[in-house]
Amino acid sequence: MAAPLFSPSVLLKDLSRLSAHRGAIRPKARRCFSVSRGLTARVPAARKPREKVEIPGLDRITYGERMHYVPGLAKPVYPKWEKDYKDPAHYTSPPAHEMPLYKEKPCYVFNQRTSILEGVCQALWLTKTQLISGLPPQLLALAANPANQIPDQDERVQNAIKHARFWNTTEERPGKRQYSNTLLMNLLHLCATLQCSHPAIGRRISSEKYSLAATWKRGEDLFQIRGQNGLLHNCMDPLPAASGKQEVADTVDHVLESFYPVSPTIDLQKVHVYKEQMNSTGFRGDFPYPHAHTLYLQEDADAQCKLKPEQFRAKMVMFSFGNALARAHMLYGMQPQRVLDTPITVQAVGTNGRIFQFMVFQLNTTDLSGDDGVKNQVWLEKDIELYDFAKVRPLIKKKQVKVPAGLAGYKPETFSKFLALYLNGAV
Amino acid sequence: MALSCLTRALRSLTVSQPALLSSEAVAQTKLRNHVPITLGQCRGFLTTAPLEQNRTYWKQREKYTIRPIGMKKTGGRDHTGKIRTHGIGGGHKQKYRWIDFQRLRYESGKEAQPFEEKVVEVRYDPCRSADIALVAGGNRKRWIIATEKMQAGDIIKTSAVIGRMAVAANDGDAYPLGALSVGTLVNNLEIQPGKGAEYIRAAGTSGVLLRKVNGTAIVQLPSKQQVQVLDTCMVTVGRVSNVDHNKEIIGKAGRNRWLGIRPSSGLWQRKGGWAGRKIKPLPPMKSYINLPSLSTV
Repeated sequence: MAAPLFSPSVLLKDLSRLSAHRGAIRPKARRCFSVSRGLTARVPAARKPREKVEIPGLDRITYGERMHYVPGLAKPVYPKWEKDYKDPAHYTSPPAHEMPLYKEKPCYVFNQRTSILEGVCQALWLTKTQLISGLPPQLLALAANPANQIPDQDERVQNAIKHARFWNTTEERPGKRQYSNTLLMNLLHLCATLQCSHPAIGRRISSEKYSLAATWKRGEDLFQIRGQNGLLHNCMDPLPAASGKQEVADTVDHVLESFYPVSPTIDLQKVHVYKEQMNSTGFRGDFPYPHAHTLYLQEDADAQCKLKPEQFRAKMVMFSFGNALARAHMLYGMQPQRVLDTPITVQAVGTNGRIFQFMVFQLNTTDLSGDDGVKNQVWLEKDIELYDFAKVRPLIKKKQVKVPAGLAGYKPETFSKFLALYLNGAV
Repeated sequence: MALSCLTRALRSLTVSQPALLSSEAVAQTKLRNHVPITLGQCRGFLTTAPLEQNRTYWKQREKYTIRPIGMKKTGGRDHTGKIRTHGIGGGHKQKYRWIDFQRLRYESGKEAQPFEEKVVEVRYDPCRSADIALVAGGNRKRWIIATEKMQAGDIIKTSAVIGRMAVAANDGDAYPLGALSVGTLVNNLEIQPGKGAEYIRAAGTSGVLLRKVNGTAIVQLPSKQQVQVLDTCMVTVGRVSNVDHNKEIIGKAGRNRWLGIRPSSGLWQRKGGWAGRKIKPLPPMKSYINLPSLSTV
């Protein structure tokens, strides 16, 4: 119909599209208002990809030099444009298998956001550790000794709790992250007031945001601990071992608990790009406070990743192990040692602002490949409450006050354990 | 249609002619002799842009995950925006948990060995009537449909071995139909080996393994229809969880709206043959034997 209007050089395809617009027209490209409503609702049929014919020796005529699209001419193919300068904002990494650090053998990485399914049990298997519930006796004796107490201890601790829960805000009540952090800082500050009677406390420093890296082999697999975790108290002198030589030798008979259908590597990040002999305590070699003393972890430190209490305790075990292992590798070299001459002890305290977890980890061996031989030891005291309630408003049920406003149910022995862990090594 | 043809012809008359004649066009087309420029075909312009209707990008995933996936509500519309199913819309927001219906999915590297898994959690699923269970085994976790007696901490077994003797199966274990004894209550029935469970997945339902005939098995579905499938089809032993689902009381019209079900039209219709009790013979047995296997499709 419209065909004779064009000169003969009009391409065949254009002709056919013009003259036969019954079914061939795509509804969206050409819109005829008389029929458009029916056409647009119809599902466009899948188009066949056109065959590209490459004839050697012939160049396709493209619309490249015209700088706009012309129907019938081929689409120009340009070489990929690359910037002549390095732009970190638009960096694309090469595929994993082309990276220089790529290895065939996978490595399982534990970081601060890892939530392992089996909790402490799995962490014990990974670190080849024997679990002893309750704190070691010398620490309990330290806690019971009245000479190690702060003057007006109970009152000052209660004031610290009230500061964290009630006074430290202009809002009605502070959030969980805020008060758990404040409470921990308050308690640490209280403990530090003992420096006049225990001068060794002055030989410590606390550090945050240090990055830990430790590598070990368990069975056939390679494991790594990476990441930033909590607040670490570093010390100039190492902590005394929590158990003697005989007790360490007795751990040979201990059999690690298994969780059979589940593999121990579940939930760990499996990576192929890693450094093989990675080991770092997060500090330089000449750091004057090389010994990790206590690791203070908070349950709500990371808003993106909320761990359940069991998984949180597992994280405590893993990171105190990682700190000890990184130190052991620095001292004794990367070769696995069956029994360390002097065991390395690291303590850990976990809190969510009310409930505390205390842990003492002792690294006896760095030979973790087999299940036999000497095991590491961990003393874990879990779910100890510092107080029962700290209410801004009283809890009223059936017109009776169930819980009065203010601090209720303060438990002094929890803080004395906290203090005992703090004083360990300074007495 | 004729009208549109006519308008199109007229349009090409009026618009294309001066364009072809203009000196610019001639100068531009020196390289190729006389190419019609785009003006030759009037493209028109759109005053509205078609919206992307009900795309399903949220469910097109490559890798399996146990994380709840955010779901987009369709309101009963299909991708063109037309109502495909009446009476759907609104309701509480739900998240989709990806169920692994192919129970016999081996972990990579451990093919063709029976394996065991531990039930981590049994929980409610908004997207189906039955409860779902999170199971962990080896290096992976996955969601499956929970059976009636499944509890957290249970160990469930999956095996593809058809032995000479029928196995003594526990609730929640998965076996091929040929390995089970006749009369077992089963659920999550596959109709083609390796395709994944398609039958008997609703809450509280169970089928019965009626008999096994040379390489095939006949199962009675909850609707009392009998199907004949190959005896390598996997089933889970037991009854699907949430048995009291049929006793739940909706209570009020608003609760159906919470579930995303809209009221029916309300148009009065005379009761016809669909109303009232009917006595029908059982449908004949349905056979899935001679379907082509998955590899040839």
